[in-house]
Amino acid sequence: MESYLNTPIKEIISKFPKVGEILEAYEIGCVPCAVGSCLLKDIIQVHNLSEEEEKEVMVRIAKVVYPDRVIPIPKVQRKARIRSKEIKYSPPTKKLVDEHVLIKRWIALIPQLLERLDVDSPEDREILFNGIDFIRSYADKFHHAKEEDILFKYFDESLDIVKAMLEDHTKGRGHVKALAEALDKRDRKGIIEHLNAYRELLTEHIKKEDEILYPWMDRNLSVTQVGELFSKFSEVDEVSGNGITERCRTFVIEVEEKLEKPKKEVRS
Amino acid sequence: MKEFAGCPSSKTVDFREKGTQEEVPAAKVQSQLRQWPIQLHLVSPTAPYYQGADVLLTADCVAYALGNYHADYLKGKSLAIACPKLDEGQNIYVEKIKSWFDDAKINTLTVLIMQVPCCMGLVQLAKQAIESSKRKVPLKAVVVGLKGEILSEDWI
Repeated sequence: MESYLNTPIKEIISKFPKVGEILEAYEIGCVPCAVGSCLLKDIIQVHNLSEEEEKEVMVRIAKVVYPDRVIPIPKVQRKARIRSKEIKYSPPTKKLVDEHVLIKRWIALIPQLLERLDVDSPEDREILFNGIDFIRSYADKFHHAKEEDILFKYFDESLDIVKAMLEDHTKGRGHVKALAEALDKRDRKGIIEHLNAYRELLTEHIKKEDEILYPWMDRNLSVTQVGELFSKFSEVDEVSGNGITERCRTFVIEVEEKLEKPKKEVRS
Repeated sequence: MKEFAGCPSSKTVDFREKGTQEEVPAAKVQSQLRQWPIQLHLVSPTAPYYQGADVLLTADCVAYALGNYHADYLKGKSLAIACPKLDEGQNIYVEKIKSWFDDAKINTLTVLIMQVPCCMGLVQLAKQAIESSKRKVPLKAVVVGLKGEILSEDWI
């Protein structure tokens, strides 16, 4: 069993698909993950299972991997456990979670926007131009840069959990580049493809960060590091963030109102 | 005998047996205190040891209840102690805590209190100070049980 603790999860799941189902039962979403290079021991650690849950999940996996043998279950070493499943963020990671809220508001508008999309309509084209500006300025330059230039530097960036997040950022940038090109060519199919792909990617990415990455990072940051991070994030907010945030919040509110208005007219 | 119905902070609780059952550390425990004075009325909030520091604001009783107070909490931090139930002039406390944030530009503030309800007043003083300060810093509250156990440890 020890050797499987040091095996990438995708390898284990492709050999034993039932393991994916077991992990999903504990809200560990490795099956849809695009990377899947995390080791089983790291997955058990970062999801902060209780001791009982950890034992249960390891026993169930052992039964799948070694159906004919009784296997001693190794215990996964970890720095700290929290007492409950309720997520309480440190002040700097709370800032990042709060920034996700505005990103999620923009993402939530995408299906409705694409449904009515007319690539020749100046209004729809303007929304898309501003939407790309939102993603590049707020989600990427402001929010993701805080993670890449500050937060992740406090951790070993060769860890699979960090690499998976960085890979999501790179994929997101690729979709936005392709989206801008499609918009330039008034290519409706391309716009729909890449904006939808971005929405799906970011939805999953934010969920992983809010529920797994940030709580794990919080458990591993010292009090001094929390203070340093908060101070560095506040500096970014003051230097560039507040202006970008205000501009992007106004954009989201305006699109929400534009998309909501026809609905209200239909209802009345 | 009538059951005690007064303030939990002065309720008599006897757990002498526990004291003799626990193992004591073999080696002499090193003090982690790195400043004087420590009482909140006596300290200057802009003293050099508060500049950019991780500060511990500890309710008076905590250090007696928490066995590993020095190693687990005081180490590497600057300190002030106070009692939110008995101390007078608590508006001065609020001003001093505010000065930690704005003038000494401390890195973090951790408030350690006992589980008795009146001790929560110390956290309230810190919250009041941070609400009125220009500069914000992470504030943490740690609640210690009467037998020295950590009941909660949360960023506020």
